[in-house]
Parts: sequence; C-alpha cells; structure tokens
Amino acid sequence: MATNIFRSFLRPRIKTSFFKRYESSEKRVAIHDPFSNKPEKNKESYLQVIKFFEGRDQRRRGHVEFIYAALGRMKEFGVNNDLEAYKALVDVLPKGKLVPTNIFQAEFLHYPKHQQCAVDLLEQMENNGVMPDIEMEQMLLNTFGRRGIPLRKYWRMMYWMPKFKNLSPWYLPDKMPDDTLELAKLAIQRITSVDPDTNINLWQTEEIEVALDKTWIVSGQSRIQKLLLAEQPIEEPLVIKGPYYVYLRDQSVTYFTLLGKIRPEPKDDIDWDDVSKIEKPSGIPGFIGKTTLPSIKCTVHEQDDGTILAICATGTSSRDSLLSWIRLLEKHDNPLLANIPVIFTLLAPPSDVSLQETQPALQEEDNIERAG
Amino acid sequence: MNIARKLTTIPYNVRKTFYRKFKISSINSDTVEATQPKVQEEKFDFEDLKVFERTERRSAKIDPFMKEVFVSKFNRDLLAYPEILTKDEDEALENRISFLKKSFSNANSTKEERKNTLRRASMYAATVNLTKNGLAANYTELLRYLEIIGADLELGQAISEHWVGVTALSQGLSADDYTDIIDEIVSGDDTISICIKERMSDRLTQPDFRTTAEIDEKGIWRIHGEKIHINKTGYILVLAITDGSKLKALLVRPGAEGISYKDNFVTFSNTPALELNMANEAILSQTLGTNRLHTATLCRTSLQQATQACLEYIRPRFINGKPLSELSTIRSTIGEAILYIYASESAEYFTAGLLDGFMDPDAELEMAMCRNFISHHGQRVLLKLLAIPGVEKQKDCLRLLENMRSLTLRGENVEEVNMFIALHGAHHATKSMAEEIKKIRNPFFNPTFVFKKMITNRHQDKDDPKLDLYLSEHLHPSLKPPSESLEYCVKRMRFVTEIIMSRHGLEVASAYTELNRLAEAATEILVCTAVLARASRSYCIGLRNAANEMKLAACYVEMTKNRVKTLLSEIIDGEYLNLDHFRVQFGRKYLDTNESLTEKPTARVFW
Repeated sequence: MATNIFRSFLRPRIKTSFFKRYESSEKRVAIHDPFSNKPEKNKESYLQVIKFFEGRDQRRRGHVEFIYAALGRMKEFGVNNDLEAYKALVDVLPKGKLVPTNIFQAEFLHYPKHQQCAVDLLEQMENNGVMPDIEMEQMLLNTFGRRGIPLRKYWRMMYWMPKFKNLSPWYLPDKMPDDTLELAKLAIQRITSVDPDTNINLWQTEEIEVALDKTWIVSGQSRIQKLLLAEQPIEEPLVIKGPYYVYLRDQSVTYFTLLGKIRPEPKDDIDWDDVSKIEKPSGIPGFIGKTTLPSIKCTVHEQDDGTILAICATGTSSRDSLLSWIRLLEKHDNPLLANIPVIFTLLAPPSDVSLQETQPALQEEDNIERAG
Repeated sequence: MNIARKLTTIPYNVRKTFYRKFKISSINSDTVEATQPKVQEEKFDFEDLKVFERTERRSAKIDPFMKEVFVSKFNRDLLAYPEILTKDEDEALENRISFLKKSFSNANSTKEERKNTLRRASMYAATVNLTKNGLAANYTELLRYLEIIGADLELGQAISEHWVGVTALSQGLSADDYTDIIDEIVSGDDTISICIKERMSDRLTQPDFRTTAEIDEKGIWRIHGEKIHINKTGYILVLAITDGSKLKALLVRPGAEGISYKDNFVTFSNTPALELNMANEAILSQTLGTNRLHTATLCRTSLQQATQACLEYIRPRFINGKPLSELSTIRSTIGEAILYIYASESAEYFTAGLLDGFMDPDAELEMAMCRNFISHHGQRVLLKLLAIPGVEKQKDCLRLLENMRSLTLRGENVEEVNMFIALHGAHHATKSMAEEIKKIRNPFFNPTFVFKKMITNRHQDKDDPKLDLYLSEHLHPSLKPPSESLEYCVKRMRFVTEIIMSRHGLEVASAYTELNRLAEAATEILVCTAVLARASRSYCIGLRNAANEMKLAACYVEMTKNRVKTLLSEIIDGEYLNLDHFRVQFGRKYLDTNESLTEKPTARVFW
C-alpha cells in the first residue's frame, strides 16, 4: 500500500520539467536484453548476467532499467524465490551516491526513481515470500541512507514477514521437494495430523499382481480408523471419494478418501443441569472405567458425510491405482475389505479415468483374483 | 468495622450466640448424640459357649463425616478423638506388639523368622473371629500391627492384603464355605493377594475392565482375563465381570489350573475359582477400600524409616567443625517429615476410630483420603530427606525411594483416588444441592432465587465466610486460632462445591483438574480435624509430650490453611486464572503433534 501511495505521489511530478528526463526511463527502455540470449536459464547464468552488467561500465549507466528488466526475468530463470539473486540486484545500485546529505534531500525524495526501483524490488520479494536478511539492510543503508523509502519498506517487511512466516501450524520445509512422492507424503502427513496415531505407509502397486498402473501409493490410516473399518456393516458398500486437492505452498496434491457409514449420533436428551444424576464412582480400589462402551459417534474420523477410514495419494490418481490401494489396505490388516463392496465416486476424474459405475468392475476384479 | 458487621448481621439464633459469646452456659443441644449410650454387641458362639466373641462397643450410626463436609456440615462430636480400646485390649495389644517388635526391629532376622513370628502371634488370623482361632482385631489394632510389620515392606504389603482378603471372604462366603477354607488360609503358608487392576485398554472399543467369570456345566466358576499382579504365590482374590456388567469377587487357589505369570501380569484362562456370592459391589467396595487405609500406614512407616535413616546419617557427621545436625535447613526438613508423619498418623487412627466406633460406618472416603494424603506429601518430603545424604548412600536411598513409589502406586494412583474422593463428595452433595444447582444454572427462570443466593453468598464472595460452627468449643481453648482456620476451610467447602457443580453441571465428572483440587482440599480438612482432635485429647488427658502435639497441631493447621485456601480459590477462579486451561492446551498440543512445542533457543527466522 505504501508503495502505491508513494507512486501516486510521484506520478504528477513526472510531468514537471524537472522530472522530464525520467519519463523516458519507464520500464520499457531496456532495448538490449542481456537475459534473452542466455541458453541456460538458471541461477548461475542469472547472476552471471548481473556480474557482467556491473563490470561492463564503471558508471553502470541504465542500472535502474537493468534492475527492472532483471526483476521481470526472475521467474524465467527460476530465481524468484532466491534471496541471493535479489541481493545481487540491490548490489547493482551505487553505494553512497544516493544517500541524502541534508534535510531537504532527505525530505523531498532524493533520487526518487532509484528509490522507487528498490521499493519495487522489495515488493517483488514480498510477493514471492522471500524474506530479506540483515545484510540486505546494510546494503540498502549504504545505498539510500537511513531516511530512504526502501529502508522504511524493508523495516516494515521485517516486522511482518517473520510473523507470517511460521504462522501455519503445518510446517513445510523452506525448499519444497520437487519429487511428487515426497510432496504426497507431506500432504498426507498434513491431512492426517488430526490423529497423531496415524501410520503413513508407502506402497507400490507392484505388490498387487493384477494392478495395471505401476505406481506408488501413500496411504494414511490410524489404529482407530482400522478399528472403525473392521466394524463397518458388510452389506453397506464403502465409498472412495475424490479427487480432492490440498495445497502445499504453490503446489497441489490430489488425494482420495475411503468413506464408510457413520455410527449413530450420541443422544442429546441429557439434562446437563440436573446434577442429581452424577454417577457414584465405584469404591473398589484399582477398578476404573467402564465394563462396556457405547457404540456411538465419538472419534474425529466420524464426520457428517461419513467415517473417513483411510486416505491416500497415488502416483497416477487413476482408478486402477485406487483399486490397488484397496487391495493393499486389505493386505495390511484390513481383512474386511475382502468382503465389503467399494464404490468409486470420483467427482472430477483425471483425464485417464472414465466415470462409470464401478461396482461391477470391482466384482470382476474379485472374480479374477479368485480365479487366479 | 467488625462491630458494624456484627450489628448488621442478625444471627439466626441470637440467644444461642449470646450464650456462646459470653460462656454463660455450656448447653449445646446439637451435641446430645455425644451422650448417647454405646451399643454393646456381645456375640456368642452357641456351639461352644466357653469361647466368647469379642464385645464391640459402637455408638449409634452417624452421617458420613467427610461427605458431609462437602456441604459444610461438620460433626463436632468427632473432635473428641475416638478412643476404641479398653484397658485389657490395650494391654493385650501391647504384648503382641512387643512380641512382633523383637523380630521386626532386628535387622538381622530373616524373612522366614519373621513369618514364623507372624504365625505365632496369630497375625494371619488377625481379622478372624475368636471362635475360629483368630484375634478378631479391629481396624485400630490392625494399624498398630501393620506399623510394626511394615518395617519389612514386602511382608507388610502381603499381610495387609491378606487381612482385607480374609475380611472379604468372611463377608462373601456362606458360613459353611468359610469354615471349610479359613483354617487353611490363616495357617500363613499361603496368603491372599488382591487382584483388581487390569492392563490399560489399547483398543478404542475395548472395555476398561475385561476379566470375566462364567459358570460351567459342572457349576464351577471359570475366570478368563489378565490382571496386574506381582505376588506369584498364594491365593488370589480376583475381581471379574459376570452377567455382562455385574462385578463379582472370586477366590483362586494357589496353583490352580490356567494361571500363567509374565512380568507384572497374571493371565487366567479357564481358571476355576470360588465365588464370594454374598459380596455385592457395595460390600466389596467397603471391604477392599480398607486396603487404602493400610497403604497409608505402610507409606507412613516408609517415611518414618527414611527419617530414621537420615538421622543415622546426620548424627556422626560434621560440617565446618560443627555437627551436621546443627544446620537449620536439615532440622527443618526433619521437622517437616515429623509434621507429616504426625498428621498422617492422626488421620489414620481417626479413620480407624470411625470404622470401629460407630454402627454401619461409612468411611470409604476417609480411608481414601488417608491414602492420598501421605502418598502425596510422603513422596515430596522423602525427596527432601534423601537429599541430605545426597549420593553418599545411593543404595539405601534408592531402596527407600522405590518403596515409597511402589506404595504410592499400590493398586491405583493418586489421581484415581482423588477422582473417587471428589466425585463421591459431589455425589453426596447433590442430595441436598441438586435443586439449587439447577436454579443457579438457569438464572433467568429463577431471578428471585439468584438474588437471594447473591445475598447469602456475599460473605463467601469476599472470602470471609461466617464462622458459625464453633469448633473451638469442642477443643482445648488454646487451639482456638487453628480451629478457626479449620472452620474457615470447612465453611468454604459448600460454596466451592456449589460453584464447581453450577459451572459444569452434569459434566462435573470430567472437570478433572478442579475435582483434583477439591479432593486435595477435603483431604487436608480431614487431616486437620484429626490432628486438632488428637492434640486436644492428648493435652486434655495430660499425655506425655502433649505440649509438642499442641505445637505440631497448631503449626500443621496454620500451614495447611493456606494450602486449602489456595486450592479452593483456584477452583473459584476458574481455568483461566488458575492457568489450568493453558497447561491443558500445552499438553494437548504436545500429545497431538508428537513434537516439541517450541524451537531451540538458537533457532532464527532470518539471518
């Protein structure tokens, strides 16, 4: 917001003759784009270009335009999340020259274009979630002095960004893994964190002979879920729902849930004000708890739309891989799945999955297995 | 200000208060029960008229003492410390004790010698009737015996369970069955051990209590299940479920089929057992509950041993050229231990007096309180005591520590007993308070009541309850200040019980942290009562060292008043001010996430 105010404050002045010379230096100026002819677009070549620019001319003419151009190319080079690249760009700005030396300079925007450029750079960092460090403050101080607008921007960023950085209760590493399997593990861990007793398994569909898709499956199931699954009525089919999406930073993972029937809701006709019904505890030393348990909805896995019995993410998200998942669940301590039908209700199936009534297909599979 | 308050509040009975204030008369119509004649029960065995059963002298039935304290009612007659034994009984008791002492105070005597001493003193038959060659010992006597036997913790634990088991058999078995089995049991070859606690359930739908007993086609009861059990020999008194949810005690003979031991667990599979058919749950809870009283005595004995061990360490040692015993910190630690030993001893014999001195006694709460009191303070004080020898006497210290730990966790832990105490108290309080609580929880339906309640509770709100129990009248006059402290604690109990129940309603049973405090406060009240009553009695009858007792009592009560005050005001403050909410949240987060709640102090967000 501060940047916008600053811009609107700056814009009418550009039309005055004093600032006329900056008009031509809007972002469109970079005629020669040193970034375009780099065959390899990576961090190393990006920093190389910056280094080349710094060494090319002692006066570093056109450095503001260069920084704008470099900022625009960051994503292309994959350095938009890289603090080192931003620091290299700040380093392009001359040191000492732009520091105001009297109160008028300090008050009336000394080198406004440069200051704006640095603010834009910081803004881009903020948008990409890159937190500056103490060295960057020193660089900015050396460039603009402690009264510069970029410094104010920096200090504001350093007030808020650390506060936001670890706000999410689900920790993610700074550098997200590129491997989808690792991402899937992170996603399933995040989802199953509701029950700390959850066991996350990595299975390969190769374990199932009839599996067509050879891929991995990350499956999450807790002990309570196993128990809930074992107690599902055999006549009622289970349902696989999905795909759902969970976002880990800017990447999404597709997952599926295995839903079962819910147990009856606890009766809510107790008069909580009537304390005369307080149960008298047993006086037998060492005797605690109850001899029987009510079979009512009481776990976190029992939601309104069904009991979540397991969740998974597979390498292909295909129906066949899900089928393998069911077979693998059955193999790993869920014997009830051998007898209970499972229905697939894929809400928005991936392209390789056709939406159809899957119940017969499953039965076919069963037949195949039995025949085998 | 006090004068103004006295003038503005009109007491409910001006005449009575006037008398009390100016001591014109000692007429006290409330305590007429004290002068009631005692019921003497002389039991005869009509088959053999030469042997008489022991004469029991019991007063008329009274309301349960501590349960009534939860509604701020106090039976002042009990401030006369119970005197159970007659001269003859006391002499016989002392004789037996001196006989036991010879063996148990001798560090060189072996376990077998001690067992023989117990046999010769008929200790294994202590609770059996005189007509069946027993001693017909009452609770007070059993405590005296146990204090001596407790010097050997293993034997102490075994015999206390044996006594409880034998009592359970006498109540649960038919006369014929009992006669058949009792001679074998009291021989001392095999003692009875009690087996109630089970392994924690590791499945969601598994019941907490799983041992079952079924009757087979031959009419024999068969037990299936697993229990926590340490003693691997002798009879086992097992608690099991029959017919779905009914609890039943069964006696398993030594070496019965289907028993297997592993670590601390015993597994029964199709084990034949003798049913205690006449012992229902109420009888069982009363009988087995006495084990708690015995645990308290054993704990106290253990603490006493630790104190003794410390003394032996301190005596011959010096620091800075002075005896170590001159250090005031060491003296104060020993003094604290003495204080708690005295308090616990008072409470135990007070409770035993309740059990022995009245018809149909209801003292399960008091027994549980005795157990928790010394378990709670014993551990803390023991750690302080053992800090004196430090690591010099590692082996002895570890043994003492382990003894106390095993006693504290004997059969159950402190929290479980506290829940029992608080819920029992709350349950009793609801008999008179349920209607009020309902009205307090629905203030808009009962506006007049709420205003009246506000006015009635105005002193309580200011933490200045009106002391109208006049407990000091039943104690020696020099105990007036401590008796007023006790009175303050008692008067606060009803208010706090009311608050806790009106705050949680029926869910009070799951307000664990608050119930814990309530139980602890009630426990301290029992102990204060016992301490004051004992000291007052001693001083009044001119017992040796009675002056010390008076000082111990006054010191203990003053010390405890603040603790009770804090405990009760923490309940009144609620979970946010007493920080329970936060503690619970931290614990919950840690349990939920399986990882540390904080980062290391060297961690940084940016560099």
